[in-house]
Amino acid sequence: MLWLYLHFPHLLLDHIQRNQDATGALVIVDGSGQAVTQACATAQELGVEVGMRLKTALGLAPDLHIMQANPKQEVWLLEDQARWLYHYAAHITLAPPDGLWAEVSSLQKLYGGLPAIWQTLEQALTERQLTAWIAIGHTPQTARLLALTGKGECTDDKGRIMTALGNLPLQAAGFDKKACSRLQRLGLSTLADVFALPAPELARRLSPELLSTVQKIQGTRADPKTPWQPPHTFRHRADFIQEVEHTQGLLFSLQRILSELEEDLCWRQQDTDTLQISLQHRHQESTRLLIRTTGPEHRAEVFLKLIRLKLDQQPLSAPVTALTLTVKRFAGRAAPTGQDLLGESQDLNEAWHTLISRLQARLGDQALKQLAPSEDHRPECAWSANAVRKPTKQPETEPAPLPHRPLWLLKGPQSLDQTPTHWLSGPERISSGWWDGQRVHRDYYIAQLPGGELAWVFRDHQDGWFIHGWFG
Amino acid sequence: MSELLSSLLQDARVWQGHQHKKTTQPAEPTGYQSLDNQLGGLGWPKGALSECLLDSCGIGELHLVLPLMQRVSNEGKTIFWLNPPHTPYAPALAREGVNLDHVVMVTTQDQNDFLWTLENCLRSPVTGLVLAWPGTLASRDVRRLQLASEAGGNVCVLFRSRRHVEQNSPAALRLELVPDEHQKLKINIIKRRGSWPGQRCSLAIGHRANLASQDSTRVIQGPWAEAVR
Repeated sequence: MLWLYLHFPHLLLDHIQRNQDATGALVIVDGSGQAVTQACATAQELGVEVGMRLKTALGLAPDLHIMQANPKQEVWLLEDQARWLYHYAAHITLAPPDGLWAEVSSLQKLYGGLPAIWQTLEQALTERQLTAWIAIGHTPQTARLLALTGKGECTDDKGRIMTALGNLPLQAAGFDKKACSRLQRLGLSTLADVFALPAPELARRLSPELLSTVQKIQGTRADPKTPWQPPHTFRHRADFIQEVEHTQGLLFSLQRILSELEEDLCWRQQDTDTLQISLQHRHQESTRLLIRTTGPEHRAEVFLKLIRLKLDQQPLSAPVTALTLTVKRFAGRAAPTGQDLLGESQDLNEAWHTLISRLQARLGDQALKQLAPSEDHRPECAWSANAVRKPTKQPETEPAPLPHRPLWLLKGPQSLDQTPTHWLSGPERISSGWWDGQRVHRDYYIAQLPGGELAWVFRDHQDGWFIHGWFG
Repeated sequence: MSELLSSLLQDARVWQGHQHKKTTQPAEPTGYQSLDNQLGGLGWPKGALSECLLDSCGIGELHLVLPLMQRVSNEGKTIFWLNPPHTPYAPALAREGVNLDHVVMVTTQDQNDFLWTLENCLRSPVTGLVLAWPGTLASRDVRRLQLASEAGGNVCVLFRSRRHVEQNSPAALRLELVPDEHQKLKINIIKRRGSWPGQRCSLAIGHRANLASQDSTRVIQGPWAEAVR
């Protein structure tokens, strides 16, 4: 078996810099906010070094941007990397906080040799503007140790790998401090010296744990790695070092996230109809936006247009410090059906979804309604307004006989304050609804008012006269 | 040059008063023969605005567009109702043979949203007919809508108040609707492309209230007529 290890020396830094258009000196500090853990190139030019105290760093570079590391976020970030790596390799294992294993011996045939795999990965890393140290080894631990020290080479020659590994100093081997100092006192300085010791002696004089670590590196002890499964959600986060006050700034990073979403959806052969966007603010509850399309969609530009509309309607309440895009609803991509020879119906279908989504994004979901008759004798209950859905071709059904009704129904009955000039038909008695408390007991007439309008008027049981509709 | 001129004459954008030539602009028949005749045998212009100017609802203005609604909805194109003054009554529309799956009602909060929505509906290929109740419209806005409807090639009917009869408007067809005593609808053509305005006709649409004839004796005349204030 051949293992490939990717070590991301400053993942959080890469991630943040990717979302900024303007770059300044930037450092990542540890959880307590005391020491610098990652420093960007600009900061390093100014003299800031990893491991330095934050106060010293600030003295060297007064306008330093500072970002605090968050363990939860590091986990998410690593999963993000695993997700794209999964496009290239099937067997992936996470090595928190900043590494990934990929099993590559089974990929050699697919890619046509190790150099091709190596090149593909390096290209993918450049595309994503990530820094990673790659190494290959015959055991997971070998690959990891070589990657951590940056001594990785594109080779599957066991001798060469073992020589490179043997030359590593003891400190780089990941032994605990006590074991390390004991080995040094024994006069050993490189890993090759440790490998030369007989195994029973190592276990007896030092510790069984040390032996197991050494054996895992050498490959004489099993070191199973459970394959990672990609989650069935898409989640992407962008952090801003400078708070974003205008929607334009959000759209810049959304554009990149959405194109990654498109790529992800294309790769899964799935579509989605709901995007959840959460905007974090410094001092208040985060704003949640729900972007819905009427039909399944995967194209980034369509989502971006809808988001732009939504943001135009809903200005930012406070500056934004971070943005998260989550997609949880997926639908299998439908094969284009019902397409005629000229391919017209497909376009129309799409145009319908585009138009309705656009209208809903700007006006709100409640602004669009479809009407339907319902089974009730009371005129105000005999119709319903529903959410818009794409009409499907239904077999022609004979419509149920409906009574004669006006085309306009008033939102509520209006009192009749003119004497009608003509009485045209009536009465039609409607008495219903005793069971749900909205009792209706009316006599309906059709009458012409002095203005020439035909009105649907009724008299209720208290002898009041009302207009309920117009024959438009 | 002469080719340009003749093409201008052909599609009736420039017309000569002494000629009553048939124009080639696309249109949808209104479904009423007498009105179609007055409109040069064409009907509702496609890709242009039509205005109906009326005082109040209930004079048969929806019945004027009903044949078109039936046809458009059964062709599978969408009908948009923008800011209708009352609720379009679904059972009545269904009874008249309008496919309600293709009817979408849109309500907007302000004038900007209204114009934006109307423009989007007009430009879309899925739209067959847009009925809109705009309230007050600046002439600049009407021009913008006219351009949008030219891009989309749909029928758009704006229902406006009769106060606007005297104002000029870029709409291609303007009809003034007046009710008469016998439940008929009198139509004055204020403006149309390709010909003189001023034609009048009267549509018998008394059937909208299920009145076969002017037989009001069958109504039970009771004491309640006095109960009305």
